[in-house]
Amino acid sequence: MTATTTARRGRIRPSARPPETAVRRRGRAWTVLAWIAAAVFFAPVAWMVLTSLHAEVDAATNPPSLFAPLTLDQYRLLFGRNITPFLVNSLMASVLSTLLVLGLAIPAAYALSIRPVERWRDVMFFFLSTKMLPVIAALLPIYLIVQRLNMLDNVWTLVVLYTAFNLPIALWMMRSFLREVPREILEAAQVDGAGLVTTLRSVVAPVALPGIVATGLICFIFSWNEFLFAVNLTATRAATSPVFLVGFITNEGLFLARLCAAATLVSLPVLIAGWATQDKLVRGLSLGAVE
Amino acid sequence: MSPSPVRSPAVDAPPAPGGKGRAREDAGSQRSPAEVLGVKGAASFVAPAVGIVGVFLIFPALWTLYLGITNLRLTGLAAAEPQVVGLDNVTQALSDPSFLNALWVTAIFVLGSAVIGQTVLGLGLAWLFRNWHGWGRQALEVLVIFAWIIPGSVVAFLWIAMLDGESGTLNALLPGGVGIEWLLTYPMLSIIVFNIWRGTAFAMLLFGAALNTVPPSHLETARLAGAGAWRQLVDIVLPTIRGHILTALLLVSLWTFNLFTPFLLTRGGPNFQTEVLPIYIYRVAISQGELGFGAAIGAIMLVINLAIALVYIHVLSERAA
Repeated sequence: MTATTTARRGRIRPSARPPETAVRRRGRAWTVLAWIAAAVFFAPVAWMVLTSLHAEVDAATNPPSLFAPLTLDQYRLLFGRNITPFLVNSLMASVLSTLLVLGLAIPAAYALSIRPVERWRDVMFFFLSTKMLPVIAALLPIYLIVQRLNMLDNVWTLVVLYTAFNLPIALWMMRSFLREVPREILEAAQVDGAGLVTTLRSVVAPVALPGIVATGLICFIFSWNEFLFAVNLTATRAATSPVFLVGFITNEGLFLARLCAAATLVSLPVLIAGWATQDKLVRGLSLGAVE
Repeated sequence: MSPSPVRSPAVDAPPAPGGKGRAREDAGSQRSPAEVLGVKGAASFVAPAVGIVGVFLIFPALWTLYLGITNLRLTGLAAAEPQVVGLDNVTQALSDPSFLNALWVTAIFVLGSAVIGQTVLGLGLAWLFRNWHGWGRQALEVLVIFAWIIPGSVVAFLWIAMLDGESGTLNALLPGGVGIEWLLTYPMLSIIVFNIWRGTAFAMLLFGAALNTVPPSHLETARLAGAGAWRQLVDIVLPTIRGHILTALLLVSLWTFNLFTPFLLTRGGPNFQTEVLPIYIYRVAISQGELGFGAAIGAIMLVINLAIALVYIHVLSERAA
């Protein structure tokens, strides 16, 4: 990039465009910058995965040794430390709550997307408003309720809570996907004499399936990552993998490779889910703002 | 279930008083999907979701408001028979230096990491990636997104490992081999940078979608007039996506305001320097057992949230209209 073109960039000058080569060179500079930016974001994750594949001796060097021999020893050790029940708890809480969310959100979103209720917008904002509650404030009464119901340290408590937490987002997301089902198809199905159930199953579901999957995966990610409620409402039996990880860090703080293996293992399901839903993530979280 | 002939609860049901909530457009013999579902059908579709959210989100929120006017404690005499103390908790909080400290710390945290950091950086990245298509862009975006979706517990671990004074990677990469204990020396900066790193992906995705709504012809006109990238951004893009910027600002502010994850990095320390409001509530209510007082702070947070949310909803419904 030459000094003159840089200086001219800001000014409006009809007809005088910088020479092609300079433009291309500048374009390449931006490309490099884009990759560097992405690399900065990704570096800690890459470091984690790489270190988890190293022996403890190699992980202890500083700066990190990039080319040390790879090994799966740390993962073997982890399963020896009984990480499995925590993973199972996480899996149960996330998968079951996600299924429940979908079961509740799909019919509701369908009803709200075709708007037979006049005040549908109020209903949507009712759901939106719940995302504004500070979770820490909700923790206190929920803790008291769960304690009184004798449901502390129980995976089902997490299943129910995660269902409630994710329902609003799932609803907003599903509605924006269901609105893409062309009205004509629905009307045609009715002309053909299809009932409500048939319409939902054979007409709406196939069109909305990618959206349903994306919504489900996002709910899965949120439930899997949840820490505050998991750590306060569970103890030994129902603790989830993030809770395991934090305890593991406290106990084995010196063994970096081992910790990285645990962190990688805990991240793996959401990394896969996030990679699969990449392009739809923003829709769920901007709550229809991009429509 | 076998396909049944067209049923309609709306037809069988007597019209609701005043006709409120009835399906509209009774034109002709062909009925719209809305009519087939009917008001009752729609209500029965929506009711379970409303119920769950009401029981597990709204009800606790209301209970928080109630707890906030009591002196309930986790243990001891006030645990069994809490007294209603009215607004004492709130007045006590407002004159409590540690509450005011938490409020101040939270304000800095939100301003630095959400409003300035995530929004500006997210917009910058989206702008950088704007002309990219296909696998290159997807690959870049997914790298940034990974920082955003991995569990908070993992992120906290990564940052502790990187910022550690003795064995931290950051010190190793810096020239001079300075053994700075980042989390102790620059605690506020640490959690701000941590949150920027974590949250920028959302702003980037939102702005990426927003930039697509800018008509290419406008940019082309500007470019032909000799406007550089910066002028295009300031004169054309920013005014066009103003609504998206506002949306992003409000959402990331809300999330950051309620974020508990800094706890995993610094536990609010050293010396309460990073004690944001959620951590303060946690310390007061759970660690010290002053549930009533903690709930009152929670209620104050709720009010602040609601204020931000109302602005957001206002903006959103204005755009939807």
